[in-house]
Amino acid sequence: MQPADLQTITANEEKSRAKHRCRLWACGSTACLSSGAGEVRTALTAAVKEHKLAGEVQIATSGCQGLCGNGPLVRREVEGEASITYQDVDPTLARQIVAAEARSGPDLAAASELAAGSLAAHILPETHPFFALQHKVALALNGRIDPERIEDYIAHGGYAALAKVLTTMTPEQACDEVKRSGLRGRGGAGFPTGIKWRAVHDQAGERKYVIANGDEGDPGAYMDRTVMEDLAHQVIEGMLIAAYAVGAQQGYLYVRGEYPLAVKRLEKAIRAANRQGLLGKNIFGTDFSFTLDIRIGAGAFVCGEETALMASVEGNRGVPRMRPPYPAQSGLWGCPTLINNVETFANIVPLFDKGAEQFASVGTEKSKGTKIFALAGKLKNTGLIEVPMGITLREIVFAIGGGIPNDKAFKAAQTGGPSGGCIPAEHLDTPMDYESLRALGAIMGSGGLIVLDETSSMPDVARFFMEFCADESCGKCVPCRVGTVQMHGLLDKIVGKQATNADVEKLQRLGELVKRTSLCGLGQSAPNPVLSTLRYFRHEYDALVSERQA
Amino acid sequence: MSTSALTNDPRLKLVDRTIKKFDARGDALLEVLNTAQEAFGYLSPELIRYVGHELHVPLARVYGVATFYHLFTFKPKGEHTCIICLGTACYVKGAGDIVAALERDFEVKSGGTTQDGKLSLTTARCLGSCGLAPMIVVDGTVLARNEPAATVERVRAATTTKAVS
Amino acid sequence: MITLTIDGQTLSVKPGTTALDAALAHDIDIPRLCHHPELKPSGGCRLCLVEVEGRPNPVPSCGLACEQGMVVHTQSEQLTALRRDTLDLFVSDHPLDCVTCDKAGACSLQKYAYEYGLTETTHDFKLSRTLYQDDNPFFIRDHQYCILCGKCTRVCDEVVGAHAIEIVGRGFGSHVGTAFDGPMIDSSCVFCGSCVQVCPTAALLPVSRLKQGREWELGHKHTICGYCGVGCGIDFRTKGNQIVYAQGFPEAVVNGEFLCTKGRFGWDFVQHPDRLTRPLVRKDLAHQLGLIDEDWALGPTQRATLADFVPVSWEAALDLVADKLAAAVQATGPDSVASLSSARCTNEDNYVFQKLMRATIGTNNVDHCARLCHASTVSGLAMAFGGGAMTNSIHEIRDADCLFVTGSNTTESHPVISYEMVRAVKSGANLLLVDPRRIPLAEHATLWLQTKPGTDIYVFLAMAHVILREGWADTDFITRRTEEFEVFAKSVELFTPELAALESGVPADNIVKAARMYALGERAGGVSKYADEPRGHSGIFWAMGITQRRNGTEMVLSLANLAMVTGQLSKPSTGVNPLRGQSNVQGASDMGALPDVLPGYQKVVDEPKRKAMAEKWGLADLPAQPGLTVTEVMAAAHDRRVRAMYVMGENPMLSDPNLEHVEESLRKLDFLAVQEIFLSETAQLAHVILPAASWLEKDGTKTNTERRVQLIHPVLKSPGEAKPDWWVVNELGKRVEARLGKTADGGLWRFTSPAQIADEIASVTPTYRGIVHRRLGEVGLTWPCPSEDHPGTTILHHTTFTRGLGKFHAVGARPPVEQPDAEYPLVLSTGRVIYHYHTGTMSRRSAPLHWRDPRDWVEINAVDAQAAGIEDASPVVIRSRRGEVKTLARISEHVPAGVIFLAFHWAEAPANILTQDHTVDPYAKIPEFKLCTVRVEAVN
Ligand SMILES: Nc1nc2c(c(=O)[nH]1)N[C@H]1C(S)=C(S)[C@@H](COP(=O)(O)OP(=O)(O)OC[C@H]3O[C@@H](n4cnc5c(=O)[nH]c(N)nc54)[C@H](O)[C@@H]3O)O[C@H]1N2
Ligand SMILES: Nc1nc2c(c(=O)[nH]1)N[C@H]1C(S)=C(S)[C@@H](COP(=O)(O)OP(=O)(O)OC[C@H]3O[C@@H](n4cnc5c(=O)[nH]c(N)nc54)[C@H](O)[C@@H]3O)O[C@H]1N2
Ligand SMILES: Cc1cc2nc3c(=O)[nH]c(=O)nc-3n(C[C@H](O)[C@H](O)[C@H](O)COP(=O)(O)O)c2cc1C
Ligand code: SF4
Ligand code: SF4
Ligand code: SF4
Ligand code: SF4
Ligand code: SF4
Ligand code: FES
Ligand code: FES
Ligand SMILES: [Mo]
Repeated sequence: MQPADLQTITANEEKSRAKHRCRLWACGSTACLSSGAGEVRTALTAAVKEHKLAGEVQIATSGCQGLCGNGPLVRREVEGEASITYQDVDPTLARQIVAAEARSGPDLAAASELAAGSLAAHILPETHPFFALQHKVALALNGRIDPERIEDYIAHGGYAALAKVLTTMTPEQACDEVKRSGLRGRGGAGFPTGIKWRAVHDQAGERKYVIANGDEGDPGAYMDRTVMEDLAHQVIEGMLIAAYAVGAQQGYLYVRGEYPLAVKRLEKAIRAANRQGLLGKNIFGTDFSFTLDIRIGAGAFVCGEETALMASVEGNRGVPRMRPPYPAQSGLWGCPTLINNVETFANIVPLFDKGAEQFASVGTEKSKGTKIFALAGKLKNTGLIEVPMGITLREIVFAIGGGIPNDKAFKAAQTGGPSGGCIPAEHLDTPMDYESLRALGAIMGSGGLIVLDETSSMPDVARFFMEFCADESCGKCVPCRVGTVQMHGLLDKIVGKQATNADVEKLQRLGELVKRTSLCGLGQSAPNPVLSTLRYFRHEYDALVSERQA
Repeated sequence: MSTSALTNDPRLKLVDRTIKKFDARGDALLEVLNTAQEAFGYLSPELIRYVGHELHVPLARVYGVATFYHLFTFKPKGEHTCIICLGTACYVKGAGDIVAALERDFEVKSGGTTQDGKLSLTTARCLGSCGLAPMIVVDGTVLARNEPAATVERVRAATTTKAVS
Repeated sequence: MITLTIDGQTLSVKPGTTALDAALAHDIDIPRLCHHPELKPSGGCRLCLVEVEGRPNPVPSCGLACEQGMVVHTQSEQLTALRRDTLDLFVSDHPLDCVTCDKAGACSLQKYAYEYGLTETTHDFKLSRTLYQDDNPFFIRDHQYCILCGKCTRVCDEVVGAHAIEIVGRGFGSHVGTAFDGPMIDSSCVFCGSCVQVCPTAALLPVSRLKQGREWELGHKHTICGYCGVGCGIDFRTKGNQIVYAQGFPEAVVNGEFLCTKGRFGWDFVQHPDRLTRPLVRKDLAHQLGLIDEDWALGPTQRATLADFVPVSWEAALDLVADKLAAAVQATGPDSVASLSSARCTNEDNYVFQKLMRATIGTNNVDHCARLCHASTVSGLAMAFGGGAMTNSIHEIRDADCLFVTGSNTTESHPVISYEMVRAVKSGANLLLVDPRRIPLAEHATLWLQTKPGTDIYVFLAMAHVILREGWADTDFITRRTEEFEVFAKSVELFTPELAALESGVPADNIVKAARMYALGERAGGVSKYADEPRGHSGIFWAMGITQRRNGTEMVLSLANLAMVTGQLSKPSTGVNPLRGQSNVQGASDMGALPDVLPGYQKVVDEPKRKAMAEKWGLADLPAQPGLTVTEVMAAAHDRRVRAMYVMGENPMLSDPNLEHVEESLRKLDFLAVQEIFLSETAQLAHVILPAASWLEKDGTKTNTERRVQLIHPVLKSPGEAKPDWWVVNELGKRVEARLGKTADGGLWRFTSPAQIADEIASVTPTYRGIVHRRLGEVGLTWPCPSEDHPGTTILHHTTFTRGLGKFHAVGARPPVEQPDAEYPLVLSTGRVIYHYHTGTMSRRSAPLHWRDPRDWVEINAVDAQAAGIEDASPVVIRSRRGEVKTLARISEHVPAGVIFLAFHWAEAPANILTQDHTVDPYAKIPEFKLCTVRVEAVN
């Protein structure tokens, strides 16, 4: 394909889109499917047939629309009107939604009025605070396109950034653009992406690789799943731009094995991109060629760690190794390798579409752009959000999340999963950026954000994470292999009200040891939940000690 | 080596297809094991031997790899399966209680299979639908917002129906 | 070079050196449990943490690359605390019962626990693993003591290449295991014990070591392994006159800490009750001499047992042998006496042996098993280069870019060399294998050409064809260093890859690939040590698959041609490398235990050289007529040209081709003396048996396959009256000399120690001139070493070939002697297995080796087995035109259809009953052990 072909596809798409007056997007993401979106979609389709609306109303499947806790969601999209989202849809309601469109006939105004009237109880306006405070960059197209159709992605501007980069920029310029944007890796550590790209670019060597890290092992986070399921092409396009910039010919998408839908969609997207010539040889008629394969994980949290991930791609036990050498120097099969998180790749396309300056106009001084969070736990609104960096925790919890249900009090927010920490109420006004969170002993992490209310026991939460880490430890280095087991034992003792003060001290000391001496990020951060709860909620530990039974 | 019982098994075709897709390269070990497990439900010693032999990967390595990853199992699964998410979101919303209830009611430890081979109980680390926590999967159907008593009911109902293929 | 500071010391190191290696090289000790200098760093034990100025956190020094100006501290209060706490974690998962533990004193964990003052864990939870008993007689595996340093699994993978063990499971549940956690015997383990060697704790210990005393009570005795030609250094740990266990040691120049199963575990034969302890005279002869009254005779098919001999004093035995030999010389002439010397024996033993035959008896009838082994290598390389042995050293193998191995089952026959090959492959070298059998190296090969037996010559010729056609030849090398290139170039024109494909069954494009790989020294990955040169470095390695052929010499020439045409010679990690078999076959040949050459390959027909040697021995001249080879001597005995034979350390009754004929011949002798350590099949036909000291009981030097002359030392006292071979020969020399009235001026037989003999060797052998006894320390010297200030030669033919220019030879493709037909449809390939050695006198008396491979078997492909109605593990009979052998079938994919494999170790199923001796290589007189045709039938 040539760059001009993108326009042809777009024009065709627009033509066929114009055939329908109204589109009803049924959410087809994993969360909504689990709350009955499949039946909803069937009901919608049946109703359209019943009402003989096939020519007017189109039923489409979208990616995640965000507010998963209120799903299944259905979004109504009519040219020139504000879109409407129906929440908690069931098959009955689905038929009513279609019926509303039927009754209105060609009278568009009446239709929306009607819909607004009788279905009002289920309408979730886009002005709802859940949506209002968000700023969608990476997820701009999410819920708005059919994730399984490459044409739809192209019609929404897809692959234009790639065309622009390949035809107008040198690899160095591409690296530079990323550097200027200030984008930092979304996989957790926040390493400046542009610098990483440049490092791989600067390595000598004929064979180089690009890897997208879609392992997402943080239990309680699903940003990356959504990105891969719904924006597969955006990830692929981001990888293509990266490959061009660093000089790689082969890429791997490492997907968590528990995400079958993501695998299916990515496979489909790769096939489509290959068919269109967007993957393979001489892309857009240039010298640039790139092949992309999927590798499926098999359930090991540590495989999210980059060196373990590479071992896994090579078909080995997913055991981390010492760095340096970094993947940029010696990665897959000893060749220079760029590895970024899938959300990082999803940011590449808007970055090049709009330019580094515009990308950098959002966020804080050191943390540019937006971040996707998976809101979960004791909140009224749970789901996926994308917010500008620097937004406060309070805004996320109380405005977007709608506060704590059942009139309970906020106790803490846990970020970064098992590697992260707990932020107590006194720090609710902390801006969400890499440095501020680190200062609190928490981390941004990949974006899991779980809210705990007054009923949660912090030592119990710490024990939960420690059990997780001990179970997920690869076993290679002794502090993590044995240290996490000892720590878990101590936490068990504490939660079981068997512990003494000395045990709590020992826990603290052991935590510091494991943090300082472990080989990889898993062990180095495994004590974080313990250390941060000891820091902010020591009284809860003390209480358990003093309740100790004889 | 490759026992005839295994080589005559039609399910092996799926495994062979994956092996072929990757030109029998050793680095495809995980993909091939994944397919093998999908096709057979678990990794039997014969199957592991077969994979190692076809990919020219030392058997000890195949075994080391297979035992490293959670997803691989070495015993046949029960007729029915129930997976309970023990991810953070689900845990803070009480998934632990659901596990306890199921373990008590079906007299099986999570990770195990009931004596009669009817039910395998496993836990997962986040099913990626934390907004609807706690999540469970019964015989492939994903169920949102669970609580102990209803879940036990639900699973009991599932195990008294015929096995899903 | 990079300069850095460690603990205030300023050091200069090569780029890429780790801080740990830099420190250790400068005697700065850093605690470590998972590091091994020969293995890739792991980083798992976290004890080697150091502080680096400017870095916030301590870093493991085993993974820390030195940087210019870096300032490192290895000791501090912080580090001590971290290390102590880390050890505390180890110990919380460890029994720490050093008081009764066999590892105590040699245990790294104990050492650090002591240094950091840890008597027990401070942790609450005493963790423990299940005890795992592996029922094998080599080593125990006790997981309780395992600290999961992973050294055992790494060594098994990275060095041994067996990959029998792996870390299984993960996290705290991980442990070292075999596939399915089964016993070692069911795994791919080759019982080399490398894992035992590197294990820092009591998790892996030799069985022989258990409850045999504290580590500090055991002695250290270093010597060179007496099995194969690799010549590994072994540290024997002894208690009294007992070996407790054996290990490698870092200073061992050839092998470092690594050994194979025979070297590490196969030494217990030495104190087997079957050892010969007194000189023995067979009853018939004893009766004749009036020693016994009983009138006894050896039946026509009977083999003598120990009961059929009478023990006599050394005096009596030596006089008797001397009488018999002298009598034969006097009655039928010196050439009616023949002898076999021994590649098992030292240079000194062999030197005096051939001296006895030449100087005192007066015949060149001395040969040894090299004839059956690398005779064709020697003749081929003499023609091409003017002389030959391995051109390069063992240690260079790991740096090669491409290894071309053919006709060598290196893993089983030269295990420690295969470790070098495995290392090369693991770091990215290509391994090109040409072999009809699926030998263990096939699992590591990047390209394996499975030729039909006997057709490999087509592949070699076609490779040359392709190299010339594609312009991959090294024209500079050809013009500067060689002659007769044109003749050769013309000779390979016909041999296209397509023709070779047709004959050998190997696809033509793989032959082209192989040619390119070898010629250009292509790698599969990684970075070459020789990256700045226009072509990578390739080495050729071969053994019996090439030499034991009726065209062995031509086979060798075709390989020499390939090396010359590509210039893969005279540089490190290249060369033509015949892997010599016996522990001292190189030395026995160097010493002139061959019928046509004197020490140092000086031809007996070369008058000036011969006369010069005679003069050194104080004689006028020496016999000028080349003597009988091993393959000729039996025929000569058969038609009574030879009447008396003296055999030192050879067992032709199992190792020579066509055994029925061998037996007939030996029975026809008037007198047979056998100098042995056991009652071998040959000794069973002897009139007199002289009990010899074994390699574990004597002094001397041996020359390994890389031409390294090394000292051996006694580890134990000899049993009974067994004596070193050189002593016996020296005593016989005196006596024969006296009987023949041939006493030379100075007296030829005044040796009182091997060191004296060694110095005489140096004085008469040009290539050994500088190898005087006192220069031989732990590392030995590599010949040629022409003077006492010469450091020895690592790379042979470095700037010029021994004969001046290297000579190309045009060779054709000669077919094997026997071709399969309807009556004998299968090809029998004979050879060795890793656990046994030759005629089995030693290895089959080693309890662990015997346990691992207790009985005879033949390998047969499932296709042939099915056709003949043979089931796995069922009895079969193998028939050839010479005879038949019964054994057990082992159905296996290691042999292709049409080929069976039978080792020649089994006295109860002797392969050489089947082999032929009528057509041998015309130059080298080597029989075609590798190819004869047979038929196999099931036995009901
Ligand atoms: N364990 C053990 N080690 C030993 C010995 C021992 O007895 N036991 N003996 C020592 C001695 S003296 C020697 S000489 C060496 C011998 O060492 P090797 O020569 O390695 O031993 P063999 O078993 O004879 O194996 C010969 C190889 O040639 C291959 N071969 C057979 N036919 C052909 C053919 O037509 N073409 C080619 N290219 N290859 C063919 C065989 O498959 C095998 O790989 O081993 C030494 N090391
Ligand atoms: N079919 C077949 N036949 C073969 C081969 C083959 O591949 N196939 N290979 C051939 C090859 S390469 C070789 S090298 C020969 C080997 O043939 P041999 O050398 O005949 O075989 P070994 O068993 O090594 O015999 C050595 C004898 O020396 C004794 N001995 C050991 N140490 C000492 C010592 O210190 N002093 C004395 N005096 N005696 C000692 C041993 O007990 C043993 O009986 O076999 C050849 N025969
Ligand atoms: C234990 C552990 C788990 C990790 N899991 C993930 C993960 O699931 N996804 C991810 O992108 N990065 C994960 N990382 C971080 C990666 O190692 C790596 O830094 C990241 O993929 C780089 O991408 P980025 O620069 O785009 O963030 C993990 C790190 C550790 C130590
Ligand atoms: S810190 Fe844990 S996960 Fe990381 S290498 Fe060590 S044992 Fe493995
Ligand atoms: S292995 Fe070492 S530390 Fe453990 S009991 Fe034995 S000597 Fe002591
Ligand atoms: S004995 Fe050798 S082959 Fe066996 S496990 Fe140990 S290292 Fe591996
Ligand atoms: S058995 Fe020994 S070498 Fe192997 S991991 Fe355990 S302690 Fe280390
Ligand atoms: S390789 Fe040879 S020399 Fe080395 S230990 Fe083994 S048998 Fe002995
Ligand atoms: S924590 Fe259960 S679905 Fe994410
Ligand atoms: S020696 Fe460096 S971590 Fe073990
Ligand atoms: Mo040999």
